[in-house]
This record gives sequence, structure tokens and C-alpha cells, in this order.
Amino acid sequence: MIRKSRCNILVFLVKPFLVMVIIAGIFGLVYLRSGFLQLEYSLSDLEKKKIQCLRERKMLLAERTSLLSFAKLEGSRQAGDGFILPDRIQVIHMSKQKGVQPYRTSLERKYLAEP
Amino acid sequence: MSRKRAIILHTALIFSFVMVFLRLTDLMIFSHERLSERAKQQHIKIEDIQVRRGVILDRRGRELALNLELDSLYCDPASLSLDNEDVRKLASAVEKEPKAILSKIPNDGRFAWIERKLEPSAAERVKGLDIKGLGFLTEAKRYYPRGELASHVVGFVGIDNQALEGIELQYDTYLKTTGGKVFLGRDASGRTFSSGVDIEAKGNNIVLTVDEVLQRIVEKELDRAMQEWRAAAATAIMMDPFTGEILALANKPAYDLNKAGRAGDSERRNRAITDCYEPGSTFKIVIGAGALEEKITRPNTLFDVSKGGINAGGKTIRDVHKYGVLTFQEVIQKSSNVGSIMVGMRLGKERIYKYAKLLGIGDKTGIDLPGEVSGWIFPTERWSGTSIGAIPIGQEVAVTPLQILRAYSVIANGGFLVRPHVVSRIVAPDGRVLVSSGENEGRRVISAKTAGAFRDILKTVVEDGGTGQNASINGNEVAGKTGTAQMINPVTKRYSREKYVSSFVGFVPADNPRFSIIVVVYEPKGQIYGGVVAAPVFRNIADQALSYMDVPREDTPQRNPLLVRR
Repeated sequence: MIRKSRCNILVFLVKPFLVMVIIAGIFGLVYLRSGFLQLEYSLSDLEKKKIQCLRERKMLLAERTSLLSFAKLEGSRQAGDGFILPDRIQVIHMSKQKGVQPYRTSLERKYLAEP
Repeated sequence: MSRKRAIILHTALIFSFVMVFLRLTDLMIFSHERLSERAKQQHIKIEDIQVRRGVILDRRGRELALNLELDSLYCDPASLSLDNEDVRKLASAVEKEPKAILSKIPNDGRFAWIERKLEPSAAERVKGLDIKGLGFLTEAKRYYPRGELASHVVGFVGIDNQALEGIELQYDTYLKTTGGKVFLGRDASGRTFSSGVDIEAKGNNIVLTVDEVLQRIVEKELDRAMQEWRAAAATAIMMDPFTGEILALANKPAYDLNKAGRAGDSERRNRAITDCYEPGSTFKIVIGAGALEEKITRPNTLFDVSKGGINAGGKTIRDVHKYGVLTFQEVIQKSSNVGSIMVGMRLGKERIYKYAKLLGIGDKTGIDLPGEVSGWIFPTERWSGTSIGAIPIGQEVAVTPLQILRAYSVIANGGFLVRPHVVSRIVAPDGRVLVSSGENEGRRVISAKTAGAFRDILKTVVEDGGTGQNASINGNEVAGKTGTAQMINPVTKRYSREKYVSSFVGFVPADNPRFSIIVVVYEPKGQIYGGVVAAPVFRNIADQALSYMDVPREDTPQRNPLLVRR
């Protein structure tokens, strides 16, 4: 009689426990799935932001390219503060030399060829 | 009674289960495909992978053509309801006439474009109107940040990014790419999930041999010449004579690549390679190089041109000025027609034709731009009696400016005929070099000795007593040749007395050329001679280009270079 009673108690405890485990498992799965979806939404939003930023970047790059065109720089020159081509009579060529030694300079580049 | 009820209940239950079972069988087996397709449509959104054409860059990596992403406005006519006020606001937002807007909205259907590739500000204005039935799709728009610069080289694309001209057309297979589809999950409210992949496919980038600054210099000087001489058109090409790399190629009138649809035929014509003209005296390179190569003349061989005219096939051809006895060098220097015809007669028509072909006359140069023509020079059996008098002075032949430039580059580079090209390399989006022009192997067509001798003669053209003095540059020696040719009147089929083509072709520094340039001015007013009209343009271009390319002057003191200590 005592053994049967112990067995009943065990069954009485295990059954609800198993039910709870199953329910908790289902909730866990739902929770994970929900978290996963939330992550997907966040990623999607970030991707949209990235696309938007890339789009703006392209616009800005195009604007920068347009502003840096030689024609624009020349336009600035006429305003007095822009690009000018060097006057060749004033250009002095300097050779690239390693170490501490005097710089060789010349008005003609061919005289500065590396030995 | 209770047993009867139980039987009815059991029967009803069994029947119900059978019905459920049959329905499930139908849903899961017989209607499976249709339903799963429907479910897919509800849960999966298919989007096109955005396709972007490759970027076009100049030789120093400066962008000449790139892509923007703009909104295109469409409508769903079935759900669109616009009153007059809405139409007026919409038209104002996209800066169009209300009529133009209404004409784009059909009575039925589910999709129609209203305005494609709107400016961002216009798109924002339309979004602000919040009209039901309107929507936006993002599309790639080709944008040319330099506008008119190098328009005949770069070319342009149409509204659907289909290649229409220039490099865009010639290298379309490299620039364009295929996109495919991307599958995105979405929920019941239509929100999409992350695709997890890059939804943009990029084409290959093209690096040109053209330099933006040199191109700008050439275009600016051509504009100036067009204005000064009130010319109908003008062309200039700058090329590396050793490699055939085109450093600049410009035609005027030109057009803004961002408004290519509005450009006329004249503006869109790439005269440098598609238009033929009679070269006039610049063609004397053929008899000059031929006579030296065949050892028929030497630079100091004398020619008596004192009569001022020469008879060729019953037609007398005269010099502009009367000369006495000229050396061969002076014949070229002063551009004597009589002397040139004498040389031509000594050379003979077979050899004139041979050297014309060797220098690339009458053949396409093979430049990688669409629409090049070959020009023509008749085979000797089709020459008339007067041809031996006309061809040595550049009549009865048709050339493109690029052909003449290539011929003079033979002299500049020591005797090699090179293939002009505008593309330096093609680079994949991952950085791999797919195509590289590399070393352009030229074909030897005349000896180095002949090239050197003729180069010395060409130098005298730009010196005192030559026809091209206006092309001389402070600090560097120039070698070149002037050309003045009458145009054919298309009505009378005779040479026009009013319309001329003035040209100058040369290279600098003469003994170690960095570039060769041809300038051709069509129908200048006031002056006609190449030495007056085209030579100054050459000088202005070359002077600035030498400065930009950091080419030292040759006339500066060399013996005591300045020494500077740190």
C-alpha cells in the first residue's frame, strides 16, 4: 500500500512538471521566434538606412566631383584665389635623394636623373 | 433511445472527421501547389537587384560618368483620384504643365510612369502632397559631373540606361551588368525582413587615357578659336605619339552630357573621327616622307618653282606666293604647291599611294570609339590626269583629323604607326584588371633616319620664314605643318571660294615629343590660312599642356644648376 502511494505521489508531481516544461518550452520557442523576428526587423531597418545613406553619399560624391572639376577651379582663378598653371620659367626641378646630402636642383629635369 | 442517439452522434462525428480528412487531403495534396504559391506571394517579396553601370574615369581617376539614385514617380490609375487642384499642385511640384501630367495618366491599368528620375527636391515636394495612388521607385540615373567636357569621348545613355554614344556605347558590355532577383520575407503588414545580401550589382569601371585638365585646356582654346574666327566647327586631338594614347579629343560645337537629348546633330558629331575633309598641305607628309625614304630627294635638293605654277593633266596649279629656287626643306617650310607637285611627280603615283597607305590614309585607325570612318584615297588605276597634281597637295583625298595626327605621330616617334585608343584599362568592381591597353606595339612604316630628317624639316615650318610661325612656343622647339584646304560646295560640287578648312598638326618638344596635336577649324571667317587660324590654337594648347605636364623648357641655363642645401 505504501509503495503504491509513493508511486502515485511521484506521478502526481512529475505530470504537472512535464506539462509545465512543455508549456515553458512552447513559450520559450515563441519568445525566441519573436526575438528573432525583432532582430530581422531591426536589420531590415538598418539596411534601409544604409541604402539611404549610400544614396546620399553618391549625391554628395557627385557634387564634390562637380565642384572639383578643373573648369570650376579655373573659375576660382579668375576670382583671384584659384588654380593656376605654373609659369615654366620659374619652375625648378629637385631630385629625390635619400639621406643627408645637398638637394640637387635644376631647371631641367633630365639633369636630375638618378645615378 | 440513448443507443440510437449514440449511433447518430458517432455517425456525425465520423462523417465530420471524414469531411475534415477529405478537405485536408484536398488542401495538402491536390491544391498544394496553388496554395503554397499563394502563401509564397503573401510572405515573400521579390525585388530586382539594382543594376549600376560602371564608372568612367579619366587617366588620373577623376570621375567623368557616375551613377545617382533618384526617385521615379508612378501612379496606379485604379486607385488614383485627382481633382484639378491636386493636378495643379502635382504639376507645380514636378515643374511640368498640368496637361503634360494628365496625358501620362491612363484611364485603366495598374501602373503608369508620371515622371522618371526626379530631382531630390522635386521628389520631396511630391511626397509632401500625400496623394493616394502615387508611388515612387528608385532608379539609377547616369550623371556626368563635368557636363560638356569630353562629351564626344564619354558618350551618354538613354532614360533606361541604354548606351547610345561614345565609350558608353563602345564598352557597353563591360559597363553594364545583369542584376537578377532577391527574395525578401515579409509579414502580414507588408514590412520586409533583412535580405542579408547586397542588393546592388555593379558593372566594370573604365579608366580612360584622356586627362581632364588637358581636355579642358583643349576645349577652352577651341571655344576661343570658334569665337575669334566665327567658325562653323572645330576639332582638336592631343595624342601620345609613342603609345597612341589619346590625351584629349574635343569637337566644337559640343553638348552637355546631362542634357544630351536636347543636343542637335551638329553638336553630337564626333568630327575627329566621323567627318572627312581634304587635308590640304598637311598631306605633304606623304610625298615628303616617301621621297626621303625612297632617296628621291634630300633636304637640300633644289627645285625651281620660279614660274609660280605647274601643269598637271592640263590643269595649272599655282603657289600663293612666287618663290625662286627652293630646297626640298624650303618646299615644305613654305608649303610650296608647285615644289610639292614636282616631288610628287618624281615619286610617281604608285609610290604616293603606297606611302599614303603606309601612313594610314584611307584606313580606319582602329580607335575604340564608335562611328569611325576610313576616309579615302583612290587606288592609282582610278586616278585622273589631274590627280598627280592634286593629291600631293592634299586634294582628291579625304581624311579624318585623327588619321592626319597619326601620320605625323609616325614622324614624332621615329617611324612607327600606332593605334590610337581612349581606354587605358577596364577594372572589375573587386579591383581585378580585366583589360589593359598595355604597350601599344606600333608597326614600323618608315625608317628612323627618314623620320628624323622629316622632323628637322617640320621644325623649320615653325621657324622664321615658315608658314607655321604662330605655332612656336617659348622655350621648346615645335615641329609641325600648316594646312589650308577649300571645301567642296555640296550644290555646285566644286571647290568653294568662301569655305575653307584651316589646320595645323605638330608635336612638341620636337626632339623628344610628349604629345602631338592636330587643330582643325572649319569655315573660319576673316582669315583662312592654317598658319593664322589654327597654329595659334596649337601654340596656346601646347604651352599650357607643357606647363601642366611639367615638361622643362629647353632654353634655360643648363651648365650651373642651382644647388640648395637643407
